[in-house]
Amino acid sequence: MASQTPAVVMDNGTGYSKLGFAGNDSPSFVFPTAIATKAGAGSAAGSAPGRPPVANKPSFLAGGGGGASSHLSAKRGTEDLDYFIGDEALAAANGPGYAINYPIRHGQIENWDHMERFWSNSIFKYLRVEPEDHYFLLTEPPLNPPENRENTAEIMFESFNCAGLYIAVQAVLALAASWTSSKVTDRSLTGTVIDSGDGVTHVIPVAEGYVIGSSIKSIPIAGRDITYFVQSLLRDRGEPDSSLKTAEKVKEEYCYVCPDIVKEFARYDREPDRFLKHTVTSPNGRSVSIDVGYERFLAPEIFFNPEIYSSDFLTPLPNVVDGVIQSSPIDVRRGLYKNIVLSGGSTLYKDFGRRLQRDIRHLVDARIRASEARSGGARSGGLDVAVVTHKRQRHGPWFGGSLLGQTPEFRSYCHTKAEYDEIGPSIVRRFALLGGPGSA
Amino acid sequence: MLLLDYHNVLIHSLLTERFSGSTPVSIDQVVSDFDGVTFHLSTPESKTKILISIQVKCFRELVQYGAQQVLEREYGPYIVDPEPGYDFSVLIDLENLPAEQEEKHNLIMRLALMKRNAMAAPFERAFDEFAKLSEEASRYTTESAPQGVKEGGEVMAIHYREEEAIYIKASHDRVTVIFSTVFREETDRIFGKVFLQEFVDARRRVLTLQNAPQVLFRNDPPLELAGVPGLQNVNDGTLSYVTFVLFPRHLTPQRRYENISHIQIFRDYFHYHIKASKAYIHTRMRKRTADFLQVLNRARPENEERERKTASGRTFRVQG
Repeated sequence: MASQTPAVVMDNGTGYSKLGFAGNDSPSFVFPTAIATKAGAGSAAGSAPGRPPVANKPSFLAGGGGGASSHLSAKRGTEDLDYFIGDEALAAANGPGYAINYPIRHGQIENWDHMERFWSNSIFKYLRVEPEDHYFLLTEPPLNPPENRENTAEIMFESFNCAGLYIAVQAVLALAASWTSSKVTDRSLTGTVIDSGDGVTHVIPVAEGYVIGSSIKSIPIAGRDITYFVQSLLRDRGEPDSSLKTAEKVKEEYCYVCPDIVKEFARYDREPDRFLKHTVTSPNGRSVSIDVGYERFLAPEIFFNPEIYSSDFLTPLPNVVDGVIQSSPIDVRRGLYKNIVLSGGSTLYKDFGRRLQRDIRHLVDARIRASEARSGGARSGGLDVAVVTHKRQRHGPWFGGSLLGQTPEFRSYCHTKAEYDEIGPSIVRRFALLGGPGSA
Repeated sequence: MLLLDYHNVLIHSLLTERFSGSTPVSIDQVVSDFDGVTFHLSTPESKTKILISIQVKCFRELVQYGAQQVLEREYGPYIVDPEPGYDFSVLIDLENLPAEQEEKHNLIMRLALMKRNAMAAPFERAFDEFAKLSEEASRYTTESAPQGVKEGGEVMAIHYREEEAIYIKASHDRVTVIFSTVFREETDRIFGKVFLQEFVDARRRVLTLQNAPQVLFRNDPPLELAGVPGLQNVNDGTLSYVTFVLFPRHLTPQRRYENISHIQIFRDYFHYHIKASKAYIHTRMRKRTADFLQVLNRARPENEERERKTASGRTFRVQG
């Protein structure tokens, strides 16, 4: 039976988890990586939330009175099953009795207890699969410590007895997802991934399927900041509704990237029909209309001119990308410039890729001209800069996983339960490179 | 989450979204459900026509026991010819939905319960058979009952998984449902045993559970299955049999629907709880490790004796 079932692809990110089956073109479920547990189970002991509470004295010294451990041992019923995940968790946390937890911080799993239960619920309630019958493809952020991989494997194999497991790096999967673009001809795993989600934007160089860890740069500007920026613009103008939700809607529906802001301002003055109206319908049925103006192109502009939003981070995205590639080993730089792949929800603005490509090309061309001038007459062959945009950008890593998970050779790349039992958790420290050279 | 849902959440949420009038987009998704069931949701012709196909491993057996009739009763007007590679298909036209909200919800739920309904056929047939037999049996005394009535109906076997099966047998005073389960994992087997033992014990201990069906657990095939072909009698402990005895009070028409849902999901429920217990034990293990680490950290001497050096780099050594 296990020979026909599709692999389960789970991409657990800081903000959202994407769950689904390999071979599909979109994840079956996308919901917040949040878990709502009965309040008092973890946080009552007064220690930092999101960690196992540690009592002042270890439980066996304190004579059974040690905070949460006594709670654990006093458990008689099924309290540990009283929890919700995803959207239900957010809803439950609004009511009494539940406290919300985010088990993943900065892309890495921080609270394994919560994550284990989160997975359990994802598998049994949402995906409805027997883990014994399915292979699993999980993702991890770049620079994930191997210990985290081992912990993941322990949970997947020992708790869930899943048939097989593959843990892939999100950036590599995002590269694989770009193979669907018509512009990509060779299915190489070399390229620069710009992954911009809700919290943070990463620029990750990948050479032949391996992440160049020392060159990764992150930018503290991402989707949430754009929303805040739109909100502040709405507030400044005194719009009747400037809630975060409205700002998010405006951002998602109307924003685009312009080639030049000065010209764009002039164009708006010439063509008043570029100003739009957005109607907000509140739950009680009342609807108000707000104006949408310059924020249409100003909001995504904070990637290219961060000084209009932030005062402490001032390097534009194209310069960061250029810097990342320049700090990578010289023999892969050409490949990195040639294949710049976008991934994540904040890269979906219209013409984002085109503007990025143009700006990076300007930087590169300027450098080439300068070095030509310095060398005194030598001609450069030029350097190809290409930014790849494709239709699957939003859930890029998930889609890449789905793409690779449906290939017939995927199973041979996984570690199976039998291998795990033989060798132990350290087996997951190494995986053969999926989709890399040597595979189909 | 103590109980598992009977319906498929994806079908439910997807149809709810589509039925509420959002813009139709094309869908093409293959999703799994428990017990190797595969669904295919697609929009082959136009974006407003959703085709839902189901593939069940044991569909042939289910048809024998009347699955087609049950499905026709549930999905009557929506049934279309099965998509190639699948066993049963329904086509929903978004432009042709029931008008009332209530009806829409009803339809969504019915569609999401497709797996349950497909698997329900043998249960329904057994329950009907039971009703017939008990009526017949009421005409006789225990001794004088003719052969057929006394022994009950034939054993219906559903091989819903590769190595596991459900057997259903109706008699005049009960319906017996037997699950054969396989544990591939040593640990799971032990957990399973504890669980099943608890079924027996809890029923004895808690008064309110006295009305629950009797649960029996054994490692060799129960007597009800004597003579059923294809039973391997391997007694290495991997295969075990769980028997549910449903008494007339469980088989009343009001209870029927619920009980079929409950009993179908048993295996998945069982495995889910084995896994949840393991997760709970892991929580405690992590907790205890954190405690021990704290003790270790405390055990460090407060001012560790460091080697002292003079300005010129010579060290003093404590004598003795």
